[in-house]
Amino acid sequence: MAGNAPEKRRQRRFLPEGSSLHKLSAIVTLVVLIIAFSFTSPAFLSVNNGLTILLQTSVIGLLAIGMTMVIITGGIDLSVGSILALAGVIAGLTIKMGLPVLPAMGLGVLTGAACGFVNGMVIAKMRITPFVATLGMMLIARGIALQLTGAAPISRLGDAFGVLGNGALFRVVEMQANGFPKVIFPGIPYPAILLLVMAVLGWYLLQKRQIGRHIFSVGSNEEAARLSGVNVDRTKIWAYTASGALAGLAGMVLMSRLVTVQPNEGVMYELDAIAASVIGGASLMGGVGSISGSMIGAFIIGVLRNGLNMAGTSAFIQMIIIGIVVIAAVYIDQIRNKN
Amino acid sequence: MLDSVQTSQPLVQMDKIVKTFGGIHAVEGVSADLYPGEVVGVLGHNGAGKSCLMRILSGAMRANSGEIRVNGQPVDMKSPQDAREFGIETIYQTLALANHLDAPANLFMGRELKTRFGNLDERRMLSEATVALRQLNPNFKNLRDPVARLSGGQRQVIAIARAIYFQAKILIMDEPTAALGPSETAMVADLIMRLKNDGIGIFLISHDMHDVFELCDRVMVMNKGRNVGAFRIEEVNKDDILSLIVKGTLPDGWKPRGGTS
Ligand SMILES: Nc1ncnc2c1ncn2[C@@H]1O[C@H](COP(=O)(O)OP(=O)(O)OP(=O)(O)O)[C@@H](O)[C@H]1O
Ligand SMILES: [Mg+2]
Repeated sequence: MAGNAPEKRRQRRFLPEGSSLHKLSAIVTLVVLIIAFSFTSPAFLSVNNGLTILLQTSVIGLLAIGMTMVIITGGIDLSVGSILALAGVIAGLTIKMGLPVLPAMGLGVLTGAACGFVNGMVIAKMRITPFVATLGMMLIARGIALQLTGAAPISRLGDAFGVLGNGALFRVVEMQANGFPKVIFPGIPYPAILLLVMAVLGWYLLQKRQIGRHIFSVGSNEEAARLSGVNVDRTKIWAYTASGALAGLAGMVLMSRLVTVQPNEGVMYELDAIAASVIGGASLMGGVGSISGSMIGAFIIGVLRNGLNMAGTSAFIQMIIIGIVVIAAVYIDQIRNKN
Repeated sequence: MLDSVQTSQPLVQMDKIVKTFGGIHAVEGVSADLYPGEVVGVLGHNGAGKSCLMRILSGAMRANSGEIRVNGQPVDMKSPQDAREFGIETIYQTLALANHLDAPANLFMGRELKTRFGNLDERRMLSEATVALRQLNPNFKNLRDPVARLSGGQRQVIAIARAIYFQAKILIMDEPTAALGPSETAMVADLIMRLKNDGIGIFLISHDMHDVFELCDRVMVMNKGRNVGAFRIEEVNKDDILSLIVKGTLPDGWKPRGGTS
């Protein structure tokens, strides 16, 4: 009698990835946005602009992967924007000190992971609420980044530093007779590849590995997880460390794209990442969320920002709109929880 | 048979356990023991301290003072994992289920089965969970639904299956049949008898006198955090127990009831 019935209609994915209805409505929203913006600005639907969106989204998307894990544990990470800047500063300063680009970037990611680890320790061991703990880290990391640089950008970091943010796979460039290069195929930008790799890795860890199952367990019912022998503290520390490391990685992509380290870059990026996760179906109450949903959410935010820019909407109006979107997304989350 | 059981080494001895919350004395110097193959009923009114005492044994709560010995060895139960190492499994009154996860995920929470490559072995967890759950409730369906969507009885069955799947030596059941219908309750009673015959020691918290007299070998009654009486089940009747639960004392002029020796 061993389980024939469920064998027949076995679903591959059974963890609460956010209802598929929710994901569908997010995709519809994305398509509607794209159609609307292609009317408001003709250049919106060009290949070049598509690449720009992809690049912008890759930063939000990387942050959203970590944010989703943290949100599933029932927490929040307000420090990712600042960690991104601090990671960039560390990478920039060590390059200036003579370290090659790759290890310097590794150090940047490590800096992010360390900040995230501190977040996790403060939350798990000192029992400070995630909101307060990461708000503190938001100020601390930003403060260190500004202090180390005197708030001045670090430039002239060399061409190698710009490769990650500006390079592309399979780019085909042809020299024209007049001596100017002509891009025949723009290629797949490295940031987009990085985002895809990290998203797949994040999905794998959340859905297929024990740590992911523990993240869902802790967020769903922390006390039950503890009573069942889940190491709750370790699970939380892991999630915040991952979020910090991904913020560091996002910092590398962003600063590399600018080929300059800006210590005041990334302000309020945490809100974009939270919005992306929530739009993608993650619940701020914990226990629910998915990487795929958050990626759709990241694209919605990316398209929204880009489209508004293209349409000449002022930065102030953009703030207002994104603010409304964030509130609306959380409101939808609440309605969902009541059912 | 019971006498031969009593001569063996106790599985658990709890000695002068004290637990306070600020000014509240939840457990005040309670001692209890449990032998292999017996069911000890833990009785008492609401808030008497039954759950606290059991949570201390299952590592979910730390006592202020007192000693716990398992198989004669003093142990320090710092966490539920520690208790599990000693073969102590618990069905919590609150069930301790993660509502967003499905039945197999809950059954194996904290002890997930993994494949050779360290991935979660969903297939095996599902088939094992199916067997374990159908044993208790042959009609158990929707194994893949989040447990939030299941009935109270189904949720309780998951909590019970989780405790017995991992081959407990000592089982703590905190009101295991509270949400069950008559047929499931009978199933659990059968299960308790079966586990008892396998030599497992069981602490059973219950408010149901019928269950208590049918299943328990001994009872202990708690009143306001104190142990006000421990008896072999044949020494007492329902009125004696109710008096202990309500007033904390036996009826006036009480003598051990007939029954056997
Ligand atoms: N975590 C806690 N914090 C503070 N007080 C607590 C806590 N847990 C239990 N108590 C108190 O300890 C006392 C004993 O509670 P306990 O849960 O052990 O009762 P119980 O005998 O299991 O009751 P019931 O039959 O209702 O389950 C109660 O007064 C309760 O309010
Ligand atoms: Mg209780």
